[in-house]
Amino acid sequence: MARATTPRRKALTTLAAWTVALIIFFPVLWMILTSFKTEASAVAMPPEFLGASWTLENYAEVWQRSDYPRFFWNSVVISVGSTLLGLGLAIPAAWSMAFVPGRRTKDLLMWMLSTKMMPAVAVMIPIYLLFQWLGIYDSKIGLVIALMLMNLPIIIWMLYTYFKEIPSEILEAARMDGANLWNEVLYVLTPMAVPGIASTLLLNVILAWNEAFWTITLTTTKAAPLSAFIASFSAPQGLFYAKLSAASTMAILPILILGWFSQKQLVRGLTFGAVK
Amino acid sequence: MTTSKIAKGPSLQQQRVRAAFWFLAPMLVMLAIVAAWPLFRSISFSFTDATADTIFNGKAAWVGFDNYIEQRVRSNGEIRWRGVLLDAEWWNAVWNTVRFSLVSVALETVLGLLVALVLNAEFKGRGLVRAAILIPWAIPTIVSARMWGWMLNDQFGVINQMLLTVGLISEPIAWTARADTAMLAVLIVDVWKTTPFMALLILAGLQMIPRDMYEAAKLDGIHPVKVFFRVTLPLLKPALLVAVIFRVLDALRIFDLIYVLTPQSDATVTMSVLSYRQIQQFGDYGEGSAMSTLLFLIITAFVLLYIKLGRVDLSGEKS
Repeated sequence: MARATTPRRKALTTLAAWTVALIIFFPVLWMILTSFKTEASAVAMPPEFLGASWTLENYAEVWQRSDYPRFFWNSVVISVGSTLLGLGLAIPAAWSMAFVPGRRTKDLLMWMLSTKMMPAVAVMIPIYLLFQWLGIYDSKIGLVIALMLMNLPIIIWMLYTYFKEIPSEILEAARMDGANLWNEVLYVLTPMAVPGIASTLLLNVILAWNEAFWTITLTTTKAAPLSAFIASFSAPQGLFYAKLSAASTMAILPILILGWFSQKQLVRGLTFGAVK
Repeated sequence: MTTSKIAKGPSLQQQRVRAAFWFLAPMLVMLAIVAAWPLFRSISFSFTDATADTIFNGKAAWVGFDNYIEQRVRSNGEIRWRGVLLDAEWWNAVWNTVRFSLVSVALETVLGLLVALVLNAEFKGRGLVRAAILIPWAIPTIVSARMWGWMLNDQFGVINQMLLTVGLISEPIAWTARADTAMLAVLIVDVWKTTPFMALLILAGLQMIPRDMYEAAKLDGIHPVKVFFRVTLPLLKPALLVAVIFRVLDALRIFDLIYVLTPQSDATVTMSVLSYRQIQQFGDYGEGSAMSTLLFLIITAFVLLYIKLGRVDLSGEKS
């Protein structure tokens, strides 16, 4: 803000911001620290910080006991696949809503919001029955479709807001130059909307990666991604906190790395393009 | 302009309208199959006596509104009423959901606003801080619920230890197990997880406020607090209203955090969790579906009311 310009003010703001960040980040830090402790050290009272005995044993054991690469690969296929499929459906739909708005456009947006009013529990059984009937229960294809639908409203919504920012004159100019509709969408609109599409893609990959309700409900073993891996981890193994922390860290690490390198696009995605 | 071009105009427009329809069609079909149809089936299950067995072979019998409210006449002539609408457990879940939603969204909005105001100022390492506060949002709820469950543990938890050291409590508290603290524990975790998200949405709104507004207020010598309430807050209202409705929708449907953090607690059981229990634990698909149908109705009523009262324009055209 304009008034925060004096050096003292700036120092105070810096301090406040870093304190907030530290408080927010502490639980994650604690989990990562715990994952490197021995089980005895992890449950020591009072909690051990620097004097703890450190080990890589937890990671080795989690790796050995479970098929981490398979879960990881399932997560990648499901989150990327559902997002790409969603974009394929959403780009034309958002084009329609942004550039050929009709009387029904608002109703459509409302209808998409209504899918967010639906508790997952309410459609759990019908979806389960549908997937069994279609033979896509516990398959990657099934989860790609399920998560795509879960995120489709938000994908369309985001693309719609981005597309509306693009002046329709540019599309008209392309049309005057003889571009047909397909070329207009594919070669004029899509490249112009790349930043918006990238943000949408990233956000939805993360949402799909973290989804747990449907991935657990709709899989047993074959197609289970990392969220199911982490859910399955504590039950039979008892409460081994250090190992649980190691497994959790392994489950969130890929997404944290992805998020870290793409935070700008991500923030833009989360805020519908308002934060530059 | 030649006549041919003028003649071409409407046909091109028609072509676009037709294309618009076909472009929308795949999405509409998808939504119909996987959103509308399951919802319709779930609502119809709520009018049957479906159980874990009958739901698969389609032998569930139609029972009308019996899952919601039912009159039973006993052999001695005594009349008894039962059903979800008379179930104390259900109303307890409704109350839990409502108080959770109210308190969590209120806290998240106020704290999110504060965090956003800090992030909007200039300071060293802004990018890094912004990335760091995004982390709780990027962690799956199932992981954060476990992580907090352990930090709040009465024997090994680091939070009890900290509070003991500072002297705020005299003995360790089993936060997630005790009836009087379970809701507090759920609120802490939800606020931790969602405030950053809220802060970012509000930050987006803040950055759209033109800077010269503040300059002008400063020149006029208006107190910053007054500027906040008279300038910032009113201009932020559209962004806030949208952020709040998205949060409330999530809060009313909350399931995973409570299911992992306080699985058996009556003090935190929400409508979604109770419905899930009814289906998964007791195999009562009829009553479970009735509960989720009621939840859907409550949420829909809330949204319609909110949009009407708050005059929220969801298509983003600020009037």
